[in-house]
Amino acid sequence: MRFHIVLRYVALALLLNALFLGISAAISYFNGDDAFMPLLYSGLVTALFGIFPLIFVPPASNITNKEGLLIVVLSWLLSCLVGTLPYILWGGVFDLTNAWFESVSGFTTTGSTILTDIEALPMGLLFWRSSTHWIGGVGIIIFVLSVLPFIGIAEMVLFRSEISSMVRENFHHRARRAIQIIAGVYVGLTLLETIALVISGMNLFDALIHSFATVATGGFSNKNASVAFYHSPTIETIIIVFMILSGLHFGLLFGVIMGNIRDFWRSSVVRYYLLAMLAGVALSAWNIHGSVTASWTEAFRQAAFNVISVGTSTGFATADTTLWPAFSQLLLIFFALQCACAGSTSGGIKTDRIVLLGKSFLRHLKELMHPNAVIPVRVDRMAVGNDVVGKGVLYVAVYLGIVFIATLLLTLLGVDVLSAFSGAVATMGNVGPGLGTVGSTGNFAHIPTAGKWIYSLTMLLGRLEIYAFFIFFTPAQWKKTISY
Amino acid sequence: MGLRIKILSGFLLLSLMLLIAGLWSINELKSIGSSVQRILDENYKSIYAAKLMKEALEREDSAVLLLMLGKWEEGRQILKSADSMFVHNFSFAKKNVTIPGEQEQLNTIENKYRSYKKLWERPIVDTNREGNLQWYFQQLHDSFMDVKEAVNDLIDLNDKMMYQTASELKNRSNRAIMPGIIAILAALIFTFIFNYLVNYYMVSPIIRMTERVKKFIEKRTPFDIEVETNDEIAHLAEAIYNLCESVRSREEEQ
Repeated sequence: MRFHIVLRYVALALLLNALFLGISAAISYFNGDDAFMPLLYSGLVTALFGIFPLIFVPPASNITNKEGLLIVVLSWLLSCLVGTLPYILWGGVFDLTNAWFESVSGFTTTGSTILTDIEALPMGLLFWRSSTHWIGGVGIIIFVLSVLPFIGIAEMVLFRSEISSMVRENFHHRARRAIQIIAGVYVGLTLLETIALVISGMNLFDALIHSFATVATGGFSNKNASVAFYHSPTIETIIIVFMILSGLHFGLLFGVIMGNIRDFWRSSVVRYYLLAMLAGVALSAWNIHGSVTASWTEAFRQAAFNVISVGTSTGFATADTTLWPAFSQLLLIFFALQCACAGSTSGGIKTDRIVLLGKSFLRHLKELMHPNAVIPVRVDRMAVGNDVVGKGVLYVAVYLGIVFIATLLLTLLGVDVLSAFSGAVATMGNVGPGLGTVGSTGNFAHIPTAGKWIYSLTMLLGRLEIYAFFIFFTPAQWKKTISY
Repeated sequence: MGLRIKILSGFLLLSLMLLIAGLWSINELKSIGSSVQRILDENYKSIYAAKLMKEALEREDSAVLLLMLGKWEEGRQILKSADSMFVHNFSFAKKNVTIPGEQEQLNTIENKYRSYKKLWERPIVDTNREGNLQWYFQQLHDSFMDVKEAVNDLIDLNDKMMYQTASELKNRSNRAIMPGIIAILAALIFTFIFNYLVNYYMVSPIIRMTERVKKFIEKRTPFDIEVETNDEIAHLAEAIYNLCESVRSREEEQ
């Protein structure tokens, strides 16, 4: 393991953060708010750590898988760390725990917050808060690679380390092309949504903040009431459309842009994702009609926005979902566990694994009926190996296990069961709001300090898809890492 | 990039980070100083004036009671000095309007005091008001309490603002300390990385070169050493390699 090479690539991720800190500082300066110095100083410290390794370490085009994994995990952890700097330096409600929670929630695109009054934050700091979503949404390393010139084999290794195998399978391109597609679709969606929101009456700053949060499926709004602040069906519709688009595999979305609609509709994952969302909205609307709202239009409006927001792991809100009947609340829990497609910016277990689990369950039923038959699991006419099915099942089991352990620890800290469980589901799936006291109109401010650290951990575990994080903290990984 | 620039850049970056942290802390400390001055100027002086206004009101109330007991000369003397004390401090407070709502509060005090003064300006001794407790409790005392309450509200207003500014001071002191703490931690990490890179790219190749030179002298093992950078260390390795090669070829010729 060559620590200096790891340092060079991590430095690039830090420079990307420094760039956004600089933009936030500029916004703060022109707005004349008091976040200018905290943002500027954070940007400078981050830039110094980013520049220094680039001066010393010459470029290396060849890196090992182990180094790639280390670069990815370290980039996430250090980005979260430098993300806390402007919050800590600004002060207010931000002590170390709160700043870390807000930063991790931003980079992992969770969107959970400890802030009780978001509108009290200065403009520059609000922009930085949303920038963390945008940087983290597409993956820090993917973002860095997309702006760098081609760096050889290292690019392929880093691409493989940053995204899960499930995502790679739908990209029929080389790493360089896949990165360009991801970045292109990501930036394109952000620009389109910003323009649409501005046309619908939002000011440019709010439009940018909400576009960053939607396309990254994050959920940070600059308003205390989230999207409900605008009371605008047009704005809600635009955000719904972009939440659905951001939950789709970017490769398939790019195919549609290039005119290949057949692949898109043929994908069983996409069909399941859209149908599940449609069913969720219809069932919730039917359930909340009468008990929450008397109007069918309002019931559909509330259900469409909030179910899709949770189902794509965005986390915006237009209604207090803690007041919804138990059936709708459980539906939200299901969608917070499942979330959207692999290859999108969404978190959670992913619809791809749910489809795989469903098909392997059907295969097992068939095998029980016909013991001698050899029946493969097929996804989109392609046979899936037993090892892939096994990995999918194991991932879901470990995922649910972590949610259970986190809930257990939080209840030990005195958090009520509903808030602890829904909070664990929402943070692990990078959704944002849960139910109970951490619901769509609540926040995580009242959670005990240790609880906030547990939730921060589940956010990171969910974002890094569990395994990378565990491997990073395995002692064997660090053997002979630092050698002169 | 040469070694000198690499090492210098390390120290320069470190110095720059510490310099900015220092300058920012100094700036925050200066602003804490000006905030303390603001508390004294804007709030404390108004509170002090309001307290003296309250004292003047109490003395006026005592003087009215003296007049009601028929002590004309003593009562009028106290009323005169207390009134001038009230007017003096009221004028001072009026010149020191610094917070929102303070001007409105002073107007209320002025109106209420005018009404109160009208009651005791009229003769009391040798009139039906002398010894008339009913008049005192039904008219004068209520008016006196009204003015006192208005002055108390002025004190509350300034107290609240003083508390708010003091809370801001706490945040500001935190802001003055935090850049220092972050600079120290960052400097520690920076030093560790700097040390690692200096060791890896400078010290370690020199050690390897020394060992290879020794092996060359002892066993004539070829001097083949790989240096990753393109700086003075690489040039040194190349020079030693050329030297060893020339020694070997001269020995072969002999």
